[in-house]
Amino acid sequence: MAPKAALGADLVIPLLAAGFAAYFFWSIADLSWEAKANGVLIGTLLVGLVILQLARIGRSLARGSGDLRMDPLWLPREALAKRVGMVLLTAAFIVALEWLGLTLALLVAMALALRLLGVRSPGTIAWVSCAVAGVVYLLFVAILDSAFPHGPIEQLLARLFA
Amino acid sequence: MSWDFLAGQFAAQFGLWWLIVPGILLGIVVGILPGFSPQNTLIMLLPLTLALPVEQAFAFMVSLYCANHLAGGVPAILVRIPGSGGAAATTLDGYPMTRKGQAQQALVLSFVASVAGGLITTLATLALLPWLSQIGLYLRSVEMVVVMLFGLTLIAVIAARDTLKALIAGFLGLLIGVIGTDHIYNAPRATFGFLELYDGVPLVAALIGLFAVSEALVMIEEKMIVSREGRERAMRASWAETFDGLRIAARKWWHIVWTSFVGLFIGIVPGAGASIAAFVAYQQSRLWSRHPELYGTGVPEGVIAPEAANNGVTSGTLVPMMALGVPGGTTAAVMMIVLQYHGMVMGPRLFQTDPGLAYGVFVAMAVAYVFMIFTILPFARYMARIVLIETTYLAPIIILVTIVAAFSERQYLFDMALALVFGVIGYIAHKTNYHVTAMLIGIILGPLFEQYLVRALRISEGDVLVLFSSTLGNVLWGLLVLSLVLPYVRRLRKPQTVA
Repeated sequence: MAPKAALGADLVIPLLAAGFAAYFFWSIADLSWEAKANGVLIGTLLVGLVILQLARIGRSLARGSGDLRMDPLWLPREALAKRVGMVLLTAAFIVALEWLGLTLALLVAMALALRLLGVRSPGTIAWVSCAVAGVVYLLFVAILDSAFPHGPIEQLLARLFA
Repeated sequence: MSWDFLAGQFAAQFGLWWLIVPGILLGIVVGILPGFSPQNTLIMLLPLTLALPVEQAFAFMVSLYCANHLAGGVPAILVRIPGSGGAAATTLDGYPMTRKGQAQQALVLSFVASVAGGLITTLATLALLPWLSQIGLYLRSVEMVVVMLFGLTLIAVIAARDTLKALIAGFLGLLIGVIGTDHIYNAPRATFGFLELYDGVPLVAALIGLFAVSEALVMIEEKMIVSREGRERAMRASWAETFDGLRIAARKWWHIVWTSFVGLFIGIVPGAGASIAAFVAYQQSRLWSRHPELYGTGVPEGVIAPEAANNGVTSGTLVPMMALGVPGGTTAAVMMIVLQYHGMVMGPRLFQTDPGLAYGVFVAMAVAYVFMIFTILPFARYMARIVLIETTYLAPIIILVTIVAAFSERQYLFDMALALVFGVIGYIAHKTNYHVTAMLIGIILGPLFEQYLVRALRISEGDVLVLFSSTLGNVLWGLLVLSLVLPYVRRLRKPQTVA
């Protein structure tokens, strides 16, 4: 017998789309027709497509050819912790950027990310993190003078080369 | 325009090699990095270009611009991260070629298609400029709505494995593209209370999230991005692979020619741009192919078509600027600022008052393409080695560095967080086969589509039938329907295999 399709995961994007369309309609309720026309047209079509997809999933469930498992999102299990860890680490990096500055925040985040993904050698972690942070500093801060928050490393280097 | 005049122009532009080569190198670097657009780079370099004589400034800007279009395909092929929206279609077959160990060949195909496509369309533009410049005049809001919808139908046709899922992704992208204030009353829509979204969703953050971050999150599952055979092939790769790529490109010369003209004609339409051109060319290439079912598995035509088209756009974009005084895109607008600073008035009279500059721009472009192939081709072999780096190193570098690059478009930390959110959405879409490319096309087209639709509706005082009121528009509607129906007809006519 063929394995059942994990249709729970297939529901995530349509439900997200339907939720967003509902929020969109709510946000334009009081606006003039010019501001609404395009959103109403696209949103209505989107909701129609979502209903079609839900009907298709419902038919598969009724036939017993699928169930509501979410496996495609979690599998393979051994990569799940690494994946969730990378998302959390990146979020922490963005938050820490304001206090640590671009270079130091990136250096720390890179080192932690390499460790998280399984690099064991401290020497390798150190040189890869320093190289990435160094290149990013040169490109974004020294050459392009982007408006990234400055931290201790940027301030120190600015004093040295002032 | 005499042959002597043209020969003089070519000689003068070759003499500017000292500006063209740095322009090309800078354009390649900027093109490879997602988040860096040629217009932002040109804006940063305004102090330099404003100080140079106008002919030299233009040779530099045009070289940078063309090289940028070419280089966007490099990360698209190697790690499935388009350097710009115009290279998004290149990921569809470029990355599968990389996974099969044919990265070097794919890069060479991309370079040759880009250079040949750019060169052919530039020379064609030089010859046909007075006539080409009229095209933009025939395309009004109604026709533009259909052109945009033509782009949208590609969502369904490109992702033919599951059309319904692709349409949901595409229309979700379109609705995301409408986030922000409307064009007329500046009323905010679906901004979740964030002031940073009043200007709309930043394309760079969406591009980085949907492609770079999501791909890196998937990449973590495997030790390397290439298969074992692919790895062995990549390690053995020699100059022979480069010559193989050149041979394949030479055999597909006609494919390069016609897809580059698709790019040229779409480039002339103000606002249409490289991303639409590349997808239209890819879709048309698949539509007329003898083996459309192989598209998406790593076929050379799937790399050639979008790359030739997105470089065909380069000369097309400059046509309305030079001939009508209407910039065809943001980069053209920046170039126009430089020209205006030097007292040049764009428009039809430029060809009488200063033919040297008017035609010289396109000659500079042709010369830049000639220099480009010799500059970048030798590097294909070494660039292809990037796929041999283990994902334990590649994934965190891609995620963290591209998230940093998301900041560069508007200089908001918010955009970095937004890229991460798009990364998670892109990961879910990727894992459940809701085409992320379709979502990106939707986000790119959303604001343009609204602009033209509302303009057409306002002119007709809200009458929807205005969309079917022009002959050209109706012809385009017919072509659009044909594009949707033809693949199904072909599938039905194909003899069914017995399981």
